[in-house]
Amino acid sequence: MSTRDLVLSALFAAIIVALGILPPITLGFIPVPITAQSMGVMMAGVVLGARRGMVAVLIVWVLVAIGLPVLSGGRGGLAAFAAPTTGFLIGWLFAAFTTGYLSERLVKAEQSGLVQTVGFFLSAMIGGIVVLYAFGIGYLALVSGVNLEQAFVGSMAFVPGDVAKAFVAALVGRAVMVGYPLLPVRA
Amino acid sequence: MKSLFVEGNSRMHRVSARAKLLVLAALGVMLFLTANLMLLGLAVLATAAIYFSIGLPARSALARLKPIFLTILIVALFSLAFNPWHVAVVALLRLTALMLFAAAVTATTAIAQFIDEITLLARPLERLGLLRADDVGLAVGLVVRFVPEILDRYRAIREAHAARGLKVRPTTVLVPLIILTLRDADNIAAAIDARGVRRHVN
Repeated sequence: MSTRDLVLSALFAAIIVALGILPPITLGFIPVPITAQSMGVMMAGVVLGARRGMVAVLIVWVLVAIGLPVLSGGRGGLAAFAAPTTGFLIGWLFAAFTTGYLSERLVKAEQSGLVQTVGFFLSAMIGGIVVLYAFGIGYLALVSGVNLEQAFVGSMAFVPGDVAKAFVAALVGRAVMVGYPLLPVRA
Repeated sequence: MKSLFVEGNSRMHRVSARAKLLVLAALGVMLFLTANLMLLGLAVLATAAIYFSIGLPARSALARLKPIFLTILIVALFSLAFNPWHVAVVALLRLTALMLFAAAVTATTAIAQFIDEITLLARPLERLGLLRADDVGLAVGLVVRFVPEILDRYRAIREAHAARGLKVRPTTVLVPLIILTLRDADNIAAAIDARGVRRHVN
């Protein structure tokens, strides 16, 4: 990994951490304010691509593990890995990778803005929701005594918010690509 | 950003970081091997005794566990609504014991000790050519250095919105925030290479 790639990943990890500290952002179209940290993971994928996005999440993991309160709500330390929702934290890594992998393949420089945005949206939905929830729900069922079906139903309450986040991540991904393209395809 | 490490000289502080992490890993496995309420109850008592003996005032000791304990409790209640009570209580005790010991390890191990252990763990991966073990410390340092900078930048962008009478929208804030932050990458990378921090750069 080149020094520049390492720095980009570290800076994005810092953005993910900062998103957990900032007050929740209210979206125009849903009334509930959302915590932006899981959106940061989707954005890491759409902006940096698979490999660097994954490294950014790895760095966040290290920060959590060494006892820095970097997760939203000031959570951190090894205890953050002992919660029933730890599967979502684990899933971040694969969410960033999948989102980045699909972004690199679905989005091309010569496409129109709309097609690019849709490509990013699909990538963020599959990576940041399908893959993420697979890990989150699987882990929840494994450690908490609820069965898969119950874990699935319980988690569905959070999906609408995450769809909105994927949408914002897609808009951001497209805008950043125009302003400062970084996806490996063009690098 | 303040670490969750607590200065002190309790017995837990004196145990080596590696031993604590190995015990934590073993505990994680053992707790899930038994469903005996008695044993799990004892585990909670023992880990609570350890956690509350590390010299952290009881109030802040409880405060830092609150968000995680709340999720454990909520999921246990959810489980109780659909499953036999035994299943829900087993999960509650397991996760609580694990959380208490993990929090005790975090509170008694300094960041430098953790980074030494992670670097050591990364050595085999380095031999496989997957990463450079010393990059772990470098990356952590970069994040700690740049989070305050990003927060300042966020404030500046909000003020710029206010000055122009614009509504703060996620996209109009996040896009400049990300571009401004990542644009520094070239200069930072050049500075790191110029100082020879990563000796053999490709």
